[in-house]
Amino acid sequence: MRSLFQLFFNGLMLGGIYGLISMGLTLTFGVMKIVNFAHGEFLMLGMYGAFWLFHLLGIHPYLSIVVMIPMMFAIGLLVQRGLIQKLIDAPGITQIFVTVGLSMALQNGVLYLWSADYRGVKIPIATKSLGIGGATLSLSRLIAFGVTVAVVIFLLLFLKKTSLGKAMRATSQNWKAAWLMGVNIRKVYLIAFAMGSCLMGLAGSMMIPIYPVFPTVGSNFILITFVVVVLGGMGDILGAFFAGLIVGLVETVSGFFLAPALGPLVVFIFFVLILLFKPSGLMGRMRI
Amino acid sequence: MGGYLSGMKRLGNIRAWIPRMMIGLVLLLLPFAIDNPFYQDTIITVFLFAGLGMAWNVIGGFAGQLSLGHAGFFGIGAYTSTLLYLHYGLSPWMGAVLGGGLASVMSFIAFYPCFRLHGIFFAMSTMAFAQVLNILSVYWTGLTMGSVGLLIPFKPSWKNFMFEDKAVYALIAFGYMALSFGISHFIKNSKLGSYLVGLRENEDAAESLGVDTTRCKLQAMMISAFLTALGGTLYAQYLQFIDPDSLFLSNISIRFALLAIIGGIGTVTGPMIGSFILTPLDVFLRSWLGGLYAGLGFFIYGCILIVVVLIRPQGIVKFLKDKMALLFRKRTQIETALPGVELISNSQMSRIRKKGCGEDGVILTVEDLGKNFGGLAAVKNVAFSIKRGEILGLIGPNGAGKTTLFNLITGFMTPDKGAIRFNGVDITGLRPPFRICKKGMSRTFQLVKPFLNITVLENVAVGAYCHTSSFVQAKQRAEGVIQFVGLSRYRDFLSASLTLSNRKRLELARALATEPELLLLDETMAGLNPKEIDEMIELFRRVSSQGITLFVIEHVMRAMMTLSDRVIVLHHGEKISEGSPFEISKDERVIRAYLGGSYLHADPA
Repeated sequence: MRSLFQLFFNGLMLGGIYGLISMGLTLTFGVMKIVNFAHGEFLMLGMYGAFWLFHLLGIHPYLSIVVMIPMMFAIGLLVQRGLIQKLIDAPGITQIFVTVGLSMALQNGVLYLWSADYRGVKIPIATKSLGIGGATLSLSRLIAFGVTVAVVIFLLLFLKKTSLGKAMRATSQNWKAAWLMGVNIRKVYLIAFAMGSCLMGLAGSMMIPIYPVFPTVGSNFILITFVVVVLGGMGDILGAFFAGLIVGLVETVSGFFLAPALGPLVVFIFFVLILLFKPSGLMGRMRI
Repeated sequence: MGGYLSGMKRLGNIRAWIPRMMIGLVLLLLPFAIDNPFYQDTIITVFLFAGLGMAWNVIGGFAGQLSLGHAGFFGIGAYTSTLLYLHYGLSPWMGAVLGGGLASVMSFIAFYPCFRLHGIFFAMSTMAFAQVLNILSVYWTGLTMGSVGLLIPFKPSWKNFMFEDKAVYALIAFGYMALSFGISHFIKNSKLGSYLVGLRENEDAAESLGVDTTRCKLQAMMISAFLTALGGTLYAQYLQFIDPDSLFLSNISIRFALLAIIGGIGTVTGPMIGSFILTPLDVFLRSWLGGLYAGLGFFIYGCILIVVVLIRPQGIVKFLKDKMALLFRKRTQIETALPGVELISNSQMSRIRKKGCGEDGVILTVEDLGKNFGGLAAVKNVAFSIKRGEILGLIGPNGAGKTTLFNLITGFMTPDKGAIRFNGVDITGLRPPFRICKKGMSRTFQLVKPFLNITVLENVAVGAYCHTSSFVQAKQRAEGVIQFVGLSRYRDFLSASLTLSNRKRLELARALATEPELLLLDETMAGLNPKEIDEMIELFRRVSSQGITLFVIEHVMRAMMTLSDRVIVLHHGEKISEGSPFEISKDERVIRAYLGGSYLHADPA
């Protein structure tokens, strides 16, 4: 019983992280209708950023978000203007292979610069844990979970209450109509993509105390993010959050009963089943 | 003499093959002439990846199903032959075939359901497929040694598929490339090839022309998987070492695709040219950069991929062809009139006669048909029949359910209730649409769906393959139909370059090429100018005079009134009137439906 309780919490915490790294992807897909196959590489950049800030300047990972969020926002702006904007009306093959090419270039550029070594951050918080009702919870994971909840609330409020958020929702539903109503859709695309990118900066800072970073770390997570985003309903923020929790639970529980290495296997089989039987996702519709 | 000439023609222009044969021969002998292991290694890798690129191209290029999981098949091939050899001493030659077979079976199991997915979602599912295999191969250490990898002890002999002389490997790799090329070339010029291109360009339109899209995609995927797995065995036997990281990573899948894209996706020679350019570059980078290669090599690959996809998405082959075409511009010949074309072929006539023409000359009966979308009854209790040879019109205000009715009859939607009989056979809910087409019923679409990136002739050929598998017959039939609808001048134009009016003709031609007995035409005249409408009316009459029954949705009343033998009127999903055009025009309910009640008593004078 106790171990089941523990298992449940572990799954939930893992799910929080999956939700966090999926927010940016579901936002950019919702607004631009483009799946960024290089999304995982933005996480990798975020994690490296937090790592180097700690390693070279001694900045605590949780403080590094002050630097990382604007930095990843700027990178997002550049990449959107340089590449992604050209893909808006392009056929599927162009969209897939340009972002795949970007993923390949980033992964291997980093491999060239910083080698394939696994690099982690050793800080006290990484090993601290709390006991809740007999289960032990790692503090860093709990913080990441809290950040995920905060991000979800922020995004929902942003999309509902601000005019830029409303413009994003309008563009997501029908870009032509939004355009005719005076929405500057180029700006909306630009900001949406940069927001997705800066969320990865945030995620990187939250994750570096938990996971080591290496050049292909993104590709370990990208398929999981696809699972979460599809399950949550492409473009659905709240859906992605709950889908993240479900995927985290599925992976942890199946990993416990089979073997830890097989957790992701079950998730991918689960993924193909969702794609086949409920491609519109949990909530049943695409929305933002 | 004449017979000799036509015989030469049918052999496919032998003269064009001479230079290709020469190049092939030079490539074949090259490794024997060179004694430098470094160059020999380069040549082997070039051949191997050319073959792998062409294998990917069968599904990714011809069929347009972008797979990012071919590394999975590559790995299956390598592991199957290696494990069988290490554990049972089975010759890797046999192992290669078994591995290929296994990859084919796996592709069937994994992708039969996944072909319902389109575009990025299909790509995602293929990525998941390769990732699952990767996880399994790492996890299953008892069998695969996990991440440590498997070493094949070097015992050179023909049986063991291992050789001291690299030139032998080059010979085998050449054979592999030639096999991939041969199969690609064969597919491209076959019924399957035509169908794959059709479904790549528009799946609905392909289905309406009798293409079993799921089956075609599966065939292409299985062939592609088989060839890729063969390449995997060759790779394993050449390096004598395999591990999950060198086989299953997504970088490998992307590399296959990259070769095809750079050379020219969907062309036969494209992936080969891609390999002849990229692989030596790769080898050069590897030797030049040494230890730095691990990162920089693939970094450069990634950049090349981005640049090529953005700037030359058609690849190098198409680019060169266009340049060559500019240099050696051929004067296009406009063919003079072909002898009169009979649209209903003899074989079809005999089929119809055998069936005894159904009961009392009725070709289609619809009884009590109903379809709901949520709470909305799109089609409600509709019943009518069509007599063989007549032209039946279907009119009704926007949203009356006309196109839904067409979709129900042609198998694009399943009715909730009611029955449809075609030539006395029950076809209610028969799906997918290609089955309906095979029975002799075809349709056009309200919003035209031409296969944009292929020529007019290739478009019509997709329809023409409906009742034949012969390239020659299909081409003849397609040319006949093109002549019939008056598109001969545009035979070799890309259909993307046609005007709306000609696109509509093209769609009609494609449907006619399937030799239909009943043809359903959905607003073929919408958006045409009066002159074009007159021409279209004339064309419809000629189609009808060939004995083909027409069921026509049209808003252009002038056309409807002159063409139709009978008209039925739909309103809010219900049939409100039926009769000759004259009777319809006097029917109160029809006037009310179109103009509203207040116009009912308006004085026509």
